[in-house]
Amino acid sequence: MNSQPKALERMVEAFKLGSFIPEDLDFESPDVKLLLDSLPERRREMFITMAKDPDTRMISNVFNQGMGNYWESVLTAKDKGKKVVFIPFNFSPEIFYALDMVPVGVEVLDTMTMTLEEGISPYLDLSIERGLPETMCSAQRAVVGMLEAGVLGKPDLLVNGALGGCDPNTKVFEYMGEKFDIPTLFIDVPYYHDKRSFKYYEQGFKEVVKILEEVSGNKLDEDRLREVCSLSNKANELAMEISDLKRHVPNPVPNYYNMNHLATKLTKLGTQDAVDFYQMAYDRSLDRFKKGKHVLPEERLRFMFMYTGIYFDNSFHSWFQEEMGISYIMDMLIFSDHVPYIDLRNTDTMLAGLAAINMNLPMTRQLKGKNSFHGGWISDLLYYIEKYKADCVVFTGHTACKQVWGVYRMVADRIQKELGTPTLRMEADGWDSRTTPMEVLKEQWEEFFETIPKYHGEN
Amino acid sequence: MNAIEELSKNCKSLENPYVTEWKSQGKKVMGYACTYLPEELLYAVDILPYRITGRGITDSSKADSYLSRVNCSFARCCLEAALDSKFDFLDGAIFVNGCDHIRRCFENWEAHETAALPFMYILPVPHRLSENGYEWFKEEVSKLRAAFEMRFRVKVTPENLKKAIAVYNETRRLLRKVYDLRAGENPPFTGAEALILVTASTLMPKETFNQLLNEILKTIETKPQEKNNKTRLVVAGSELDDPEFIENVESLGAIVVSDALCFGARSIWNLTDENQEPFDALCRRYYNHEPCPRMAGEFKRRLDFVKDQIQRSHADGAILEYIKFCDQHGTDNALLKINLEKENIPVIELERQYGPLADAGRVRTRVQAFLERIG
Repeated sequence: MNSQPKALERMVEAFKLGSFIPEDLDFESPDVKLLLDSLPERRREMFITMAKDPDTRMISNVFNQGMGNYWESVLTAKDKGKKVVFIPFNFSPEIFYALDMVPVGVEVLDTMTMTLEEGISPYLDLSIERGLPETMCSAQRAVVGMLEAGVLGKPDLLVNGALGGCDPNTKVFEYMGEKFDIPTLFIDVPYYHDKRSFKYYEQGFKEVVKILEEVSGNKLDEDRLREVCSLSNKANELAMEISDLKRHVPNPVPNYYNMNHLATKLTKLGTQDAVDFYQMAYDRSLDRFKKGKHVLPEERLRFMFMYTGIYFDNSFHSWFQEEMGISYIMDMLIFSDHVPYIDLRNTDTMLAGLAAINMNLPMTRQLKGKNSFHGGWISDLLYYIEKYKADCVVFTGHTACKQVWGVYRMVADRIQKELGTPTLRMEADGWDSRTTPMEVLKEQWEEFFETIPKYHGEN
Repeated sequence: MNAIEELSKNCKSLENPYVTEWKSQGKKVMGYACTYLPEELLYAVDILPYRITGRGITDSSKADSYLSRVNCSFARCCLEAALDSKFDFLDGAIFVNGCDHIRRCFENWEAHETAALPFMYILPVPHRLSENGYEWFKEEVSKLRAAFEMRFRVKVTPENLKKAIAVYNETRRLLRKVYDLRAGENPPFTGAEALILVTASTLMPKETFNQLLNEILKTIETKPQEKNNKTRLVVAGSELDDPEFIENVESLGAIVVSDALCFGARSIWNLTDENQEPFDALCRRYYNHEPCPRMAGEFKRRLDFVKDQIQRSHADGAILEYIKFCDQHGTDNALLKINLEKENIPVIELERQYGPLADAGRVRTRVQAFLERIG
């Protein structure tokens, strides 16, 4: 297998390098052209995506700095006597920061494999070669592959709080726990989204917190918890302000913010780095709003992913923004209007707040129960499409999302019936380019856009 | 026609004469799709629990336009049968949030006004075993009971429930005898016959089934044993109600002597405690019964169960099958394989499609090679 050792070290290096892009970078200068020509294609595309637009560039600088710090903290955790915990994307990281542990979002780590020279494919394949069914989710499979290849150290603990929302998400944690002999904790997620369910989940969450105290060797300190929760509230407030800016037509928020936002919220909520990132993103977006800046040449369509997006190639963000006039408004993983504010009064209220955040995270909120429930996928999609004025909605068709595939048609029919918004169903894998490569995706998107009158300037 | 042949005929189509007879008495029939449903509650009030499958469905084109190619063929066949009104003889359907596929099958069925039955219900079962989880489960079962009591104007009482529990326990004891006999040196039942028996028990009144199985067992006891030198196998994995799959395997010189299937040992191994308050005892039995891979953190128990079946039936190896796209069993099977092979138990993993003789040729080739390997 074409893998290289020390995956985390190389991630730290990549993000640190990406945090010093000068604000006045001139893409037309011979030096920059030479630099771009010297990069492998995937890295060149990634660089252009984060650096071509000056605002995106400055937002990405702060993001990359924070991510560099983050991966460094994972890398040095053992030396500092801190426990590393792998969590899924629907588990908010604050509680781990409060207990001086290091949370690693498995899907984020999986995605960051893209920054490695060898890319993600060898790890996706190795996980299958060693036993995992090929129908399991590529969003976690690369991490299993890295553990198999020995380029990634074992975490001290696995915590999964996504039961019932997605079978592959739960099963991969059980698989990692059993196969690599890692202690694993699960929090049950109830089928409903009501007061009784919140109480049930909160109880499970608090039980896990007790075990985390034992594993970390740290007693939960109320002041430290308040500090972390306060930073989380601040970051979420800023994220909401940015979402509000997205409601303007044209949308001033740069497309690539969405990608940075997703990674930040999954890994860094509860830290100053997250607040710094959102502050920069907000300041730049507000400035763009005041100056009337938007996607180029003009906002032709407001685009929404119905569920997950595409993560194996970031280039479409800048293609949308710099060439196509497509404003990437939202996807389900960054739906955030329902994130509860954490009540900072005491430990109990803060833990209840964190549990409520988890219950309202994407997938857990929308997919754990019946699709037609209030707070289910349909009602949230209708809400977000309407509120953020999406002109079209795309289902990427991520292969592993069987629970979503199973109700896609009902959802698309309802959107069409209630809002008249066109939808597109694709067959792509968010992390594996071999299912449908980016070139083909771009062709399919273009064909879809062509069918929408607004894309041609018609109402 | 002997009793097993008669039962076998009933397993090949969706409706059967026992159901027709039951309905002719003006009694209700309720479909269910998972072993986490405490059936005795229904049986206690003369509602016949009938386990829903997609048997006999060979084309799933209607269902495919609502579910998709990445949803398992079992769920698609069930939905196809529902959309084709093949379950119209049912008065209702109760599903469990067992997996992503089956809960979406239910939602699509429920959403189709032309196919939805008068009573459509999903029973949410926790995904973890804990005391809180048990309380949640018990409350949910109470809600379900209240819902069907109101809908069908019936009343579950401690008395009628106790009686139903006794009948169901008797079914499990009798089927357990079948498993005990199969574990012997010369099994009097083939694996296909055993699957017919378990499947039939889910499609007809349990009291009638118990009478028939008692007769079958009496006949077996008086029959001289035939020497059997076939390779002994255990089958574990996804939903399997298709005796032809087992026949296909057994036609290659093997005999299936036990299993760890939900249409098999996993559903009959645990009894309800008849000395406790019946509703609580029933809920505890269902919540804690041999766990499906949907129950997180219970892999060791599942592994022990498979190992126990292999040991007690003196099996030479195991077939770990799963329906394509079933991540629950697919992942569990991968772990089972690693662990069983560590103990030098030969194992073959088989990905399959649901349906009579689907993939039969490929299955034969792979099983044949496996049998040669373990020789």
